[in-house]
Amino acid sequence: MESFLRLKDAERKVFRATFQDGLWDVFIGCVVLQLAVSPLLSTRLGDFWSSAVFLPFYALVFGIIWLVRKSVVAPRLGSVRFGPARKTRLKKFTIIMLAVNLVAFLAGMVFAIRADVSSGLMYVVLFGFIVLVLFSTAAYFLECVRFFVYGVLFVLSFVVGEWLFAQHSVRHHGFPITFGLTSGIIITVGLVHFVRLLRRYPIPVVEPGSEEPAP
Amino acid sequence: MSKPSNDKVELHPLVGIDPVIHAPARLMTMTYLYVVESTDFIFLMRMTGLTWGSLSTHLSKLESAGYVHIEKTFKGKKPHTVIRLTDQGRKAFRAYKTNLKQVLDDLPD
Repeated sequence: MESFLRLKDAERKVFRATFQDGLWDVFIGCVVLQLAVSPLLSTRLGDFWSSAVFLPFYALVFGIIWLVRKSVVAPRLGSVRFGPARKTRLKKFTIIMLAVNLVAFLAGMVFAIRADVSSGLMYVVLFGFIVLVLFSTAAYFLECVRFFVYGVLFVLSFVVGEWLFAQHSVRHHGFPITFGLTSGIIITVGLVHFVRLLRRYPIPVVEPGSEEPAP
Repeated sequence: MSKPSNDKVELHPLVGIDPVIHAPARLMTMTYLYVVESTDFIFLMRMTGLTWGSLSTHLSKLESAGYVHIEKTFKGKKPHTVIRLTDQGRKAFRAYKTNLKQVLDDLPD
């Protein structure tokens, strides 16, 4: 009886249920995929366009995820509006993420201007740290531990890629290999969650004789 | 008028336990509704683990008591039922929690 009254646990369960579909994982995996593919494209398209071509790709992935959530996930899992405490927490999360992204952008600008500093270990350490902060913040506020693991994988991709480049002169700093692997792992985890949700929650059928809750 | 005996005094808060909320299925339903702003029928069904018919019946009882507001709309051509606790429902749940805690705390180990 008492377990029903653990309101924090109940609220946490409700919030975590919204991450069961694994679709955010797929989106993050696709973002990481850019870091694997854009170095390969940069030789033909240049640095700017090799990244810019991914904007419509993100929009496409986001659109597909929105459609899947609406037509596949919602009929199975339903939908919820969170209470005021959770909304405040999500607002804090948004503000912190914006601030960290702004810092990352400014740091990137500084390093781009002072190109002598932007090479080597310093670059890897700083951006690795920023990425880890981003993913850790997401893991903490969204109460989703696997986002922290993704952050660690992201940083490892960076470090191992640089190591491959330094030790074995692997092309494109080894990023197509390391970020390709990381992206594959993240997308696979997302798809596993998604398939698990489809199996666990088939579209509900109204029981014969039960009162139809909707008009 | 004689004084009530000690055991009656100790168990007195039980009188305040709301029987509408006290049924496990309805208590679970009220708990989930208490921690959110609103939810649709399917999400509540998934969270509570109740069947469609069972949840529907319990919600009808809670609605009759004035504890929940059920809004029936359409999303495109599909029916969509949104459920939220009323102010009265929130007050009743808080009172229920306080009373039950008092009863349990007063029990000897």
